[in-house]
Amino acid sequence: MEGRLANSWRLTVNDKNFIKTALLSEIRIDGRKPFEYRKISIKFGREDGSSEVQLGQTRVMGMVTAQLVQPYRDRPKEGILSIFTEFSPMADPSFEPGRPGELAVELGRIVDRGLRESRAVDTESLCILAGKFVWAIRIDLHILDNGGNLVDAANIAALAALLTFRRPECSLGGEDGQEVIVHPPEIREPLPLTVHHLPIAISFGFFSNESILVIDPTHNEEAVMGGRMTTTVNANGDICAIQKSGGEGVPRRVIMQCLQLATSKAASITKQIKDAVEVFNTERALRKIKRHPTSTGDDVREKQN
Amino acid sequence: MEVDREDGRSQNQLRPLACSRNILHRAHGSASWSQGDTKVLAAVYGPKAGTKKNENPEKACIEVIWKPKTGQIGKPEKEYEMILKRTLESVCILTVNPNTTTSIIVQVVNDDGALLPSAINAACMALVDAGIPMKHLAVAVCCCVAKSGYVILDPTKLEEQKMKAFAYLVFPNSVHSVLPEGSLRVEGEPIENGIITSVTHGIMSVDDYFYCLERGRAASVKLSDFLRRNLQQQSTDSSKAG
Repeated sequence: MEGRLANSWRLTVNDKNFIKTALLSEIRIDGRKPFEYRKISIKFGREDGSSEVQLGQTRVMGMVTAQLVQPYRDRPKEGILSIFTEFSPMADPSFEPGRPGELAVELGRIVDRGLRESRAVDTESLCILAGKFVWAIRIDLHILDNGGNLVDAANIAALAALLTFRRPECSLGGEDGQEVIVHPPEIREPLPLTVHHLPIAISFGFFSNESILVIDPTHNEEAVMGGRMTTTVNANGDICAIQKSGGEGVPRRVIMQCLQLATSKAASITKQIKDAVEVFNTERALRKIKRHPTSTGDDVREKQN
Repeated sequence: MEVDREDGRSQNQLRPLACSRNILHRAHGSASWSQGDTKVLAAVYGPKAGTKKNENPEKACIEVIWKPKTGQIGKPEKEYEMILKRTLESVCILTVNPNTTTSIIVQVVNDDGALLPSAINAACMALVDAGIPMKHLAVAVCCCVAKSGYVILDPTKLEEQKMKAFAYLVFPNSVHSVLPEGSLRVEGEPIENGIITSVTHGIMSVDDYFYCLERGRAASVKLSDFLRRNLQQQSTDSSKAG
C-alpha cells in the first residue's frame, strides 16, 4: 500500500504557484494563450474503425467493432451503442490495471451522452430484424498517454473511429425470411454507419484567483485547477451535453463565455475530423483498386505445366 | 521447394520491420514495433518501489500487463503475460535494483500474425528506452510448419491458421563484444546459439522442430542487426533533441 502511494506523481508547491502566477498575465506554461487549443493529429490504422488521436501530448486510440445481438426488450427496433473506456497503466503511473476508476467511468459517460442522447449515431438503421437481430456497436477507447484533457481527445478518437467504421452488409434469407445472412467483405462491400452530426467535447479549467478560465488544460494545469467543465457542442451550435461535477462555483457569464468559445472551436475541429476521414477514404478506395491486379493467374499455370 | 506465399515473400523472408522509440511522454520508456501489419505498443514504468506479495524482495520484479485490442482480458492474455514476464526476467539483470517493480504494459494495436514475438521485441526496445539494465536483448521470431512439411518464417494471420503447427522462438541477440573471443561462450558455444523461450502450438516432428530452430536462429541474426542499427541511430538523434 505504501509502495503504491510513493509512486504517485505530485506537483510541487513551487510548480503550482508558478502556473497560477503565469496565468495572471495570461501566459500558460506550454506557451499557449488561455483560449488556444493544442494541435490535433488524427491517424487511422489499417482496419476500418481504428483511429489514433494525438492532442498535444495526450494520445488516445479508438477501436470500433460490431456484433449481431438481440435488442433490448423495450427498444426492439434500435441498435445498441456501447462505449468501453480503458485507462491503460501505460498512460500514467497512477492508473491501475483492472476495474475502471471514477475518472474512466466519467469519461465514458460523457462521450456516451454526447453520442447516444443527441442521436448522433442513427441506431434505427442498425436494426436488421425487429425484436430479433440488431447490430451492437462497441467502441473501445484506450488511453495511451495522459497529457491532460483526456475527454476531448477520447471524444475525437471515438468520432473518427465511428466515421471510418464499416459494418458488414447482411440480408434476410432462409425459408421464412427470418434468418440473417451476413455477407463477408470480399463479396459485398461493407456499409458505413449513419452519423447525423459530430458532437465535439471541449473542456475548460477554472482557477481560483479571479476566476481565470483556460481551454484544453494540460495535466500540470489539471493538478492546479479548482474546477473543470466539459461542454459537448456540434458545429450547428447545438449543445449536446454539459458536465460540471463539483469544483468551485463560477458565475453565469463565465458559463456563457465557455459555450460561445466551445461553439467556435467545435466548427474548426469538426472540419479537421472530416478532412482526415476524407483522406482515409480516398486511400482506402485506392487500396481496393490495387488489390485486383495482383492475381498472377498466368504464372501459376506455367508452373503446373 | 518453391513455396507461393500470398504476399509474394519467400520461405525465409521476414515482413518489413519498423520500430520507433520514445513515443509516449509520461512513460519512462516506450517503443512501437510493427512487422508488416502486426503492430504492438509497449511502455515501461520503473523501477518503482516495492515488490508484490509473492515475489522475492532480494531481486527486482517484473510485472507485465497485456492489453488486447478489444474485448475482455481472458486466459490467452494471462498466458501471454506470463510468457513475457519469464522471458524478460531472464534477460534483465535483476540484482541491480532489488525490492523494486518494473511494469511493462503491452498494447496490441493490430494483430496480423506473429503477435507474441512482436510484443517481445517491442518490450525489449521499451526496456532499452527506459534504461533498465539488461544482459542482452531478446529477439523473437515465429516459424510455422505446414502440412506438407515446409517451414516458413513470420506468418500472417491467415497463414498461421492454415499451418499444421507453429513455434514462437526467442533467442539472445548477437553480441559485439570488446572482451576476448572465448570468454562469452557457454560450454563451448557462443551465447547467441542458446534459446530463451520456445512456445509451440500444434503437432510437429522432432526434425521439423530442429529445422525451425535453425531457421529461427538465422532470422534472429538479421533481426539483431536491425535492432542494433535502429538503437544506435536513435541514440544519436535523441542527443540533438535534448
